[in-house]
Amino acid sequence: MILLQQILNGIAVGGVYSLLAVGWTTVWGIVGMINWTHGEVFMTGAFVGYFFATSLHAPFWVAAAAGAIAGGLMAVVVDKLVYKPLRVQGAPKVAILITALGASTLLKNGFSLTFGPDPKGYPPVMPQRLVTLFSAGGSTLTMNSLQLFILVTTVAVMLALQYTISRTLTGRAMLAAAQDREAVTLMGAPVERLISLTFLLSGLLGGLAGVLVGTLYAIDPYMGSMAGIKGWAAAVLGGVGSISGAMVAGVLLGVVENLTSAYISAGWRDAIAFGIMILTLVIHPSGLLGLKAEDKV
Amino acid sequence: MRLTTLKPRMRPDRPALNRALRPLGWGAAGVVMLLLLLDTFVPGMALINSYLKHLLFIGLIYSTLAVSLNFVVGYIGQTSLGHAAFYGVGAYTSAMLTLYAKVSFWVALPAAALIAGLAGAILGLPSLRVKGPFLVIVTYGFGEMLRFVAINLNATGGPAGLPGLPAPSVGVPLDQIGATGKEGYIFLALGLLGLLCFLAGRLGRSPIGRAFEATKADEVAASAMGINTSATKLLAFTVGAVFAGMAGSLYAHYLSYVSPEIFSSGESILILAMVIIGGAGSIPGAIAGAFCLTLVPELFKTARDVLHLQVDPWTTLFGLLLILVIRFWPKGLLTAKSSTR
Repeated sequence: MILLQQILNGIAVGGVYSLLAVGWTTVWGIVGMINWTHGEVFMTGAFVGYFFATSLHAPFWVAAAAGAIAGGLMAVVVDKLVYKPLRVQGAPKVAILITALGASTLLKNGFSLTFGPDPKGYPPVMPQRLVTLFSAGGSTLTMNSLQLFILVTTVAVMLALQYTISRTLTGRAMLAAAQDREAVTLMGAPVERLISLTFLLSGLLGGLAGVLVGTLYAIDPYMGSMAGIKGWAAAVLGGVGSISGAMVAGVLLGVVENLTSAYISAGWRDAIAFGIMILTLVIHPSGLLGLKAEDKV
Repeated sequence: MRLTTLKPRMRPDRPALNRALRPLGWGAAGVVMLLLLLDTFVPGMALINSYLKHLLFIGLIYSTLAVSLNFVVGYIGQTSLGHAAFYGVGAYTSAMLTLYAKVSFWVALPAAALIAGLAGAILGLPSLRVKGPFLVIVTYGFGEMLRFVAINLNATGGPAGLPGLPAPSVGVPLDQIGATGKEGYIFLALGLLGLLCFLAGRLGRSPIGRAFEATKADEVAASAMGINTSATKLLAFTVGAVFAGMAGSLYAHYLSYVSPEIFSSGESILILAMVIIGGAGSIPGAIAGAFCLTLVPELFKTARDVLHLQVDPWTTLFGLLLILVIRFWPKGLLTAKSSTR
């Protein structure tokens, strides 16, 4: 029962990783790049949500929407200003990755210069209490109402995303672009617009994840580094490019992290994501649900 | 292999350092050396102040790191964000040996080189399976993992690290030579960098260097020509790591302590930026890049102190610099266009 409780505790945070991982994986799948600024998009969402919730006294759902939209815009702007010129040049993937590293450094330190490096806390968004999910023989499984809320939001967003991707024309065009961008261009689809759309989508999810994490923990300009890499680790575990893989792997990562800090040591908690990422890439690069892609030499 | 990749002569891609910078660099190095020699051997002489000597030492350590990373980035054309890991492994190996086993620095230094080389070979292994951006991510994760290991183990002193490392001794302890006690370290770092540059230059023109070049240009073609590309890649990682490990050992004893922050990804990004700004594949470029990225942040710090500014914009500008260099000078800011034709 204690084990089940620990697993349950990991699921809510895991949902946030899922949101991040889907953002990484869609950009990888369609644009073919590792968007290292995704952590900063997440941080932008958290900050904008924070300013809506505190300075503007906006209700929480407005703050969440604002954070998500800010994240989306940030992702699109970074793409247009930083990545697109290199993409048009046909620069090597590693050059784009290093540029992304530069953009990430610029953004987090820029935020730190502008808003100060000290952590900030969201005002309480909802009354916190323990919700009993299940009880039998004197032992109960409980969940914090806030965590439950995050979980429900994440699942709802994921379902909406799954629907958009698989049922709408734009979504199908994105899936097609993920398989073969050149072919989609030849079919007359506006690929640059699809790419912007991908960044927007990725940023919306990342920004929302930022606001959700803000309700749980304090936010600061450097929060994106660790959360970002965890989202990427989940994307790798799920198989980069696979959206359902990213969803599953995010939750899995959250659970494994929670079990690590509960049964081994809290100090190793943050190291797990790196270990999972390295092992996946070295042993089974296509991840849990990824397609095996032959890498052309 | 496409026909266009066939070149009449395979020559290492060595971009020449910008003509204007080359005599400037040599001139500056000569003047600094002269002043340094005077400071060390003329009693009572102190021409360069202690702070500048500190910067000189740090610049030499970063130069060693940048030139050693160049084996991976410049020679086999892979990008590694884990170079600080070897630096850290060297520093911790040396620290633990001198503190726990009480061995002398002169035993700990080669041991640090050995263990770091081993770590290099281990990190080289993934490079046989993944490459490009994925290898970057794996190397990044490797460094961060080691940081967590250093933070969580008791033997490495946890988050506080290991203080109280003994000074290397050359008859007298190294920190008692010269006007500020830094001169001995500077000559040691200079010797290490000199050895590395000599080796890197020789290696670049040897059959091994040609194998590096071929592996970088086209792996399939290289292995078809009978080059063992796996061994070539592992060698590049290992040699680079050996020198990074020695730099780490020297740095740890200079500061007399070592902390887990030595493993941080920020360090790795900085070292990679030095190579890229200097121009991948160029030894003088890497050294120039290292000194630039050591001195410029200090100028900003000084400017902030003099002008009483609240904030230091350097880290933000550093991000911008990386973006601009990759966009406009992908072959390096400090080097002219590649000389290969």
